[in-house]
Amino acid sequence: MPLPEVSILTKEEKELIHSKALELLGEVGMRIRDPEIVKFLLDAGCKSKDEKRVIFPESLVEESLKTVPKKFTLYNREGEVVANLGEGTRIFAPGSAAIKILDFGAKEPRLPLLYDLKNLVILVDSLKNIEAQSTALVPDDVPNAIKDAVRLYVILKYSNKPIVTGAFTIENLTLMFEMMKAIREDYAEKPWAIFDVTISSPLTWSEITVRNLYDLSREGIPAEIISMPQMSATSPATIAGSLVLHHTEILSGITISQLINPGAPVIYGGSTAILQPNFALPLITAPESILLAWSYREMARYLGVPAHTYLGLSDNKVIDYQAGAQSMYSALAAVVGGFDIISGPGMMENELVQSLEKLVLDNEAAGMVKRVSQGYQMGEEQLAVDIIKKVAELDKHEFLSQKHTRKNIRKEFYFPDQNIWDVSSRDRWDGQDSLHRAHTMVEKILKEYEPHVLPSDKLEKLNSVYEKLWNKISEKPKYV
Amino acid sequence: MSAKSAEEEKREKELYDAIVDGDEELAVEASKALVEEFKRDPRDVLNNVMLPALRYVGELYEKGEYFIADMVISAEAFKKAMNEVILPLFRKNKESSARIVCVFGTVQGDIHDLGKNLAASIFTSEGFEVIDLGTDVPPEKFVEKVKETSAKVVGLSALMTTTMPNQKKVIDYLKESGLRNNVIIIAGGAPITEEWVNEIGADICGNDVFKALREVKALLGLEVLSQTAEEGEKVMVKSVKRGGDKDAAS
Repeated sequence: MPLPEVSILTKEEKELIHSKALELLGEVGMRIRDPEIVKFLLDAGCKSKDEKRVIFPESLVEESLKTVPKKFTLYNREGEVVANLGEGTRIFAPGSAAIKILDFGAKEPRLPLLYDLKNLVILVDSLKNIEAQSTALVPDDVPNAIKDAVRLYVILKYSNKPIVTGAFTIENLTLMFEMMKAIREDYAEKPWAIFDVTISSPLTWSEITVRNLYDLSREGIPAEIISMPQMSATSPATIAGSLVLHHTEILSGITISQLINPGAPVIYGGSTAILQPNFALPLITAPESILLAWSYREMARYLGVPAHTYLGLSDNKVIDYQAGAQSMYSALAAVVGGFDIISGPGMMENELVQSLEKLVLDNEAAGMVKRVSQGYQMGEEQLAVDIIKKVAELDKHEFLSQKHTRKNIRKEFYFPDQNIWDVSSRDRWDGQDSLHRAHTMVEKILKEYEPHVLPSDKLEKLNSVYEKLWNKISEKPKYV
Repeated sequence: MSAKSAEEEKREKELYDAIVDGDEELAVEASKALVEEFKRDPRDVLNNVMLPALRYVGELYEKGEYFIADMVISAEAFKKAMNEVILPLFRKNKESSARIVCVFGTVQGDIHDLGKNLAASIFTSEGFEVIDLGTDVPPEKFVEKVKETSAKVVGLSALMTTTMPNQKKVIDYLKESGLRNNVIIIAGGAPITEEWVNEIGADICGNDVFKALREVKALLGLEVLSQTAEEGEKVMVKSVKRGGDKDAAS
C-alpha cells in the first residue's frame, strides 16, 4: 500500500504556482544585499532591475532545476549512512537556535549557557526518535562573534548524529567546515551537517545568508534554503499568495546554488507562520501555516528535491495541553506531509524557547507519528486469514495465544522509546503527570547516559581549530 | 542425587527454554524425556524446571520485555507439558486423591477465559486439582460442582463490568446451599478491585495470580508444595539485597 501521505495540489495547480513564481522572478526578481554575488549572478546571465534587484530569467531557473540533486545521502559523524534525503525520510531534529531555555518548574525562561547546549546535545544523542541534532540553543556566555561555530563544536564533540546547523556570520562558516574536516576529510562527500540559509521575506537575500549559500554550494555542503514568510506581514494574508512567494524565493536559492556549483545539494525548506492578528507574533502552529507547509512540500515534490519544515513544536509558554496538542498535531502534519527533515522538537513560544523536558516528550510524539507515516503491509501473513480461521475453528475467543500474534505484535505495534506517556493501569501508575515523568527522565539520562564523545585523536584536531576560532577574538577557548 | 549427565542437563534446558519461548511440542518432548529416560520425579521436574521457567516469564513481563501474548503462549506450553506428561504421572501415583480441589470458571454472560486459564495452570502446577468449568458458567453449575467434589477453592473470573455482578450471584447461591463457609472464594478479572471483593463477600482478589495463590495457601494452612522453588526465590531476594548492601558500602 502507498504510505499515508497528504497531497493537496493538483498537477495544474502546481504548474500554476510554478509559473507565477517564474513570472515574479522574471519581473521583480530578488533583492540581494551582497554586491559581489550580484556581480557573479549578472555575469552568469541574470539581469539587473533598477540597480536594486536581480532578475532571474526562466531559462536559467529551468536549467538549474536540471542539475539540482533529486536525492542525496546524509551520514553520521562516523561516516555511516543515516538516510537518503529526497525519499521523505522524516528525520526529526530539535527546533533550532532558541534564544532561551525553560527550566523545569520555572515560569520564565532564561538565557541559555554553553553547558545547557551540552546537556541538550547529550539528551538528543540518547533519544531514538530525534534522529538529528541541531544547534538548538544560542549560548549567552559565548561572544557574539563566534556563537555559531561554538555551537557546532559542542555537537561535533558529543554526538554521532547528523546535524542541522547554520552560521550567523560569513567568516565563521569556513572555520565550521574546518572543524568538520578535522574529524573527517570526506566531510563534503559524505556530509553529516546541513546548513540553514534563510531568506528574508519578501524577496530578499541578506548579505550573510547569500554568502553562506555561496560558500556552501561551492563546497558541495547541503544547504537548507528556508523561506519564512509570516502570512499577512512578510507575505500576503492568503495561503495561495504566500505559497507563490515561498516558491519564488526557494527557486531563487536553488538557481543561485546551481549557478555556483551545478549539482550542489539543496533542501527545499520552510518555516511557515501567520502573524497572529491580535498580538503580532508569528504563530507557527496556525492551521493555515500547516496548509502552507503541505503546499510548498508539494512544490518541492514537483521540483523533485528534498524538503524540510519547522513543525512538531508549540507556540505556548508552558508545557501543558496546548503545548502537547500543538506539537502533536503539527508533528503528524509534518510526517504525513512527507518531509525529509522536520525541525521542531523541544521548541516553544514562537520558536524562541527550548525545553529539555519537552524534547523528551516530543521524542515520543515523533515516534508515534512516524509509525503512522510508515503505513502497514498487506501480504498473506498480515491478512492473517488462516489464523482467523484457526481461532474460529478451535473456538478460542482470542488471538493472544497464537504465535502469529506474538510475532506480529513486535512487527506491527509501535513501542515507546521511553515510558513517558502513561498507558498503564491505575494500580501501576506512578501518580505523576507526563511533564514530571519527563523531568525525571531528563535527570536520569544526563546522569547515566554515555554520549558518543569524539575519540581523543580526532578531538585533539578539532580542538586546535576551536582554539583558532577563539584566537580570532583574542580570547582563551571555553571548553565544555 | 546422582550427577546429571550432559544429555539430561540439555533436556532440562530444552524444557526451560521451551516454556520461556512458548514451544508446546518441545515442552512435551523434553518433559517426557526427563521423566521417562532419566527417571526424574515429575514433581522435581515441575518444581525445578517448569516453575522456574514460568517465573522467569513473569519476570520478563514485569520488566516489559514480555507482553501478555508472550505469557499466554508460555503458559500454553507449560500447560501442555503439564497435562500430557506431568499430571498423568501424578494421577498414576494416586497423588491426586490427596489434593485440594479448586473449581474455576468464567461467570455467566462472560466468555473471556485468558486470566482464568492462566490461574488454572498456575494452581495446577502448584499441586491443586483444578476443575475448569469453562466460560459463561451459570451459578448453579458452580454450586453443583463444589458439592460433588467437596472443593475447597472457588475461582470466579469476569472481565467485563457488566458481568462482574454475576460473581456475587455465585456467592449468593453458595450461601443458599450452605456451602459458602466450606470454600475460599477468589474473584478475579481486569476490573476487579479489593473493594469489589469485600463488597460481594469473596475472600481473595485474584488479579495477581501468584499473590492469590499465596493467600489461598495461607488460608488453607497448606505446606508449600513447591518448596524448592520458593527457597530459590528467597535465596535470590537475599542475594539481590546483599548486592545492594555491597554497593552502598563501596
